[in-house]
Amino acid sequence: MTEELLRLDEVRKHFGLSGAPWRAAQTVKAVDGVSLVVRKGETVGLVGESGSGKSTLARVATRLLDPTSGRVQIGGKDVTKLRGRRLRPTRRTVQMVFQDPQASLNPRQSVGTILSTPFRAQGTRPTRAQLIELLEKVGLSAEHLERYPHEFSGGQRQRIGIARALAVSPELLICDEPVSALDVSVQAQVLNLLADLRDELGLSYVVVAHDLAVVRQVASRVAVMYLGTIVEEGPADQVYAAPAHPYTKALLSAVPMPEPGVTRDRIVLTGDVPTPISPPSGCPFRTRCYKAEDICATDRPVLEIINGQTEHRAACYFPEPPPPERK
Amino acid sequence: MPGLVWFVIRRLFSALLVMLALSLAVYLVFYAIPTDPALLACGKPCTPDRLEQARHFMQLDQSTMQQYLNFLKGIVAGRSYGEGAAVLHCDAPCFGYSFPLARPVSTLIADRFPVTASIALGAAVLWLVIGVSLGVLAALNRGRLLDRLAVGFALIGVSTPSFLFGLLAILVFGFWLNMVPVNGYVPLTESPVDWAWHLVTPWLVLAVLQASSYIRLTRAQMLEELNLDHITTARAKGAGERRVVVTHGLRGALVPIITLFGLDLGGLLGGAILTEKVFSMQGLGDLLIDSVGNLDVAVVVGVTLFAAFLVILANLVVDIVHGALDPRVSHG
Amino acid sequence: MADPILEVHDLRVTFDTEGGLVPAVDGIDFAVAPGKTLAIVGESGSGKSVSSAAVMGILPSNAEVKGEVLLDGRELVGLPDDELRKIRGNDIALVFQDALSALNPYYTVGWQVAEAYRLHHAVSKKAAFKRAVELLDKVGIPDAARRAKSYPHEFSGGMRQRVVIAMALVNNPRVLIADEPTTALDVTVQAQIMQLLADVQEEFGTALVLISHDLGVVAEVADDVLVMYAGRAAERGTVRDLFYRAAHPYSLGLLGAMPRIDVPPKPRLTTIPGSPPSPGSIKTGCPFQPRCAYTERVGERCITERPELTPRPGEGDHEAACHLGRRPEVVS
Repeated sequence: MTEELLRLDEVRKHFGLSGAPWRAAQTVKAVDGVSLVVRKGETVGLVGESGSGKSTLARVATRLLDPTSGRVQIGGKDVTKLRGRRLRPTRRTVQMVFQDPQASLNPRQSVGTILSTPFRAQGTRPTRAQLIELLEKVGLSAEHLERYPHEFSGGQRQRIGIARALAVSPELLICDEPVSALDVSVQAQVLNLLADLRDELGLSYVVVAHDLAVVRQVASRVAVMYLGTIVEEGPADQVYAAPAHPYTKALLSAVPMPEPGVTRDRIVLTGDVPTPISPPSGCPFRTRCYKAEDICATDRPVLEIINGQTEHRAACYFPEPPPPERK
Repeated sequence: MPGLVWFVIRRLFSALLVMLALSLAVYLVFYAIPTDPALLACGKPCTPDRLEQARHFMQLDQSTMQQYLNFLKGIVAGRSYGEGAAVLHCDAPCFGYSFPLARPVSTLIADRFPVTASIALGAAVLWLVIGVSLGVLAALNRGRLLDRLAVGFALIGVSTPSFLFGLLAILVFGFWLNMVPVNGYVPLTESPVDWAWHLVTPWLVLAVLQASSYIRLTRAQMLEELNLDHITTARAKGAGERRVVVTHGLRGALVPIITLFGLDLGGLLGGAILTEKVFSMQGLGDLLIDSVGNLDVAVVVGVTLFAAFLVILANLVVDIVHGALDPRVSHG
Repeated sequence: MADPILEVHDLRVTFDTEGGLVPAVDGIDFAVAPGKTLAIVGESGSGKSVSSAAVMGILPSNAEVKGEVLLDGRELVGLPDDELRKIRGNDIALVFQDALSALNPYYTVGWQVAEAYRLHHAVSKKAAFKRAVELLDKVGIPDAARRAKSYPHEFSGGMRQRVVIAMALVNNPRVLIADEPTTALDVTVQAQIMQLLADVQEEFGTALVLISHDLGVVAEVADDVLVMYAGRAAERGTVRDLFYRAAHPYSLGLLGAMPRIDVPPKPRLTTIPGSPPSPGSIKTGCPFQPRCAYTERVGERCITERPELTPRPGEGDHEAACHLGRRPEVVS
């Protein structure tokens, strides 16, 4: 079995939320019991709608946030309890790329300074040649070293964000919505760059995105999140071709296709995602599910192998049967 | 809203703790000063015997801590000074007794507070109106003459010391133009017209000075608000400019303005020291300054506590009003 | 095609900025008929949102609008503001991208929908609120009478977008301009909102101008498409013309750059190098030329001569602004 880069066991992250000072604080169960393994060479796509907890999970996985409970292992080492300095070795294994490169790059620092920061955090000092090499890896060049973030386009800024993550030669990049702030034409460039880096550097990824097509493009394995839990997980080809969880099925059917005139069967879900402050009992999806029955309200279904596929699992009492084989 | 009641109770309780600490601090500071309040009460010639008598009567011969405890006890149970025929009673709640002024502190504060309140409230209304309207006008005419005038006015306002401005106003309106009385205070209950007439100059002076920060705050807030998407929505709905600016723009700018207003007013109600001095009005600020000079620790502690209470109260009111004004706070 | 309700001819918008005059929209034409949907596709800086704001007359004061905007034959450009105000939100209404910022946080959603109604109808507040509840119910807000009294932040993203749509529909507009109405929404909610807009169009014969960068959404709902690049029309035609017979390298590039879920992923997506130019930065020649793969084949002309829209084979008025005479082959 290939090396495990990241292993999450029953990870939970709950936030306290307070409004006016005289109102009782509430708990948001952003991530509520997620187990996930990322192996070397894999690209795991984490899809879900807003409020599904996918971004929070990414931050717990990189240990930017402390989990409320559960265990985080990075490179085979339990890092759940590590803080501050002692996380440094972890940072050399896992790095994060953020959604909004505008917000995640310090506007007062030149690209050179931004790129040397991760080196300094590891107690080393990069040479100019190292910085240039980093820039070239992401399709920029030496001339960009002295410039400031505002002098770049959105796509270039995201390249800088990726270069910064690559500075410490990590094995796993966790990308939180890496292209959602970019124009379509630029999106494709960044997605291709991620693919190139994977091939050249042997990188692994966790790509967090709400855009199912983006995840389809890059991921070898997919985990679908809903209200803080993973409801379906499996090889991308299988999940997209034969979704087993009603939520995944509805989600995929809702994606508009660039084929004018072609009508499709669409499962239009009613209502919105419930609030993670008071998620439904039992199965989190049951309030919007077209298959829900009594049992769904009482016990939360666990991820189980479906359709005899060893790698494809769904948390549902009534999973969708596989589609008939096409000749 | 039981949550709100609890919130108020909690805040008042913490206010109590703050005021306890504050009163202790004032006591300690006062007794660190190497002077003796009894000297002033001792009379002449001041023999060591008479001084000792005075000290005993004023209970200054006890330890600082004991005096502080006496003060606290007086609030709950009242206290009396001396014994026999010369005894002085100060009924509960007794916040101390001023020997130089021969009155209980609470009576002094009750006498002086209406003066300060008259000055502060009148001025507050004026500066709010002036500040907000000029601020809005400046924002709407950003970069144009009106904006520069308003900003310039605000700059003069913040950089002019209030006593200078007050003395100038007295000189111009009181002596040269002979329009308004130059000093003194007439209670509202006696003659509302005379009350206002005597107060008009201090109101204006205070208002002009305070308005500066309101012009700048309102201008900045309005510029920010008018850039928001929901302002465009209002225009796209077909709302006229007036409606866009007032109903949609100013409404959002209001929260920070009201917050500042509450805190400023709370602070001023505890005594407008310079204004009261300049216009010879016997308010709390005037009382406080005189008492510091007289080493009248009872009054200093009393007025300080009262002022602190007002500031804390203003904070509390501001927090509640903030909740009422911003549905995102109250309807979480 | 039925007679268009909204026609735009040679629309030009120039912003007077500190850096000089910036042309944001450089002569575009479009038309939309009752019950039909025109999609305007483009990336950031293409001028698609500026065009819609120009039609509504809600651009900031430093914008200069030229050209014709005809609503049912009536010229809107140059109308005095109080005339335009009667049309805004009444005959033409706007649905914004981000419903959270498009709604005023300080008023209940019922109030805001009712305001849109009151601005164009002389009715009591109560009657307007009743109408607001009716519309909220119509756009699928459950328990509308009660929810009308809630504030925007108390709604989910999808429900907020419904509120914005209710606000736009309250006066039965003839033209609805939706600027990225589903971009901020999740895909399951997007499907609901697009369905809602389709239902509204069917029921009221509303003409819809959909501004979007999402080609999937465009393919599903549009009848006609206008592809904008750097403030100009790159291509226009029916939705089939665009998706099956794209004639402009930019349109083709957009289609190739879009990841899809319905076909197995290609190892690499087709990309357009570089990024969209900032408005006004390309002065001569074809604005797309610096990013275009076909420049070499055409030669100098792309750099020196600005291509005009010329007819292309297709269902109707298929046109593209490209010197490449024939259809570019699909690169993959």
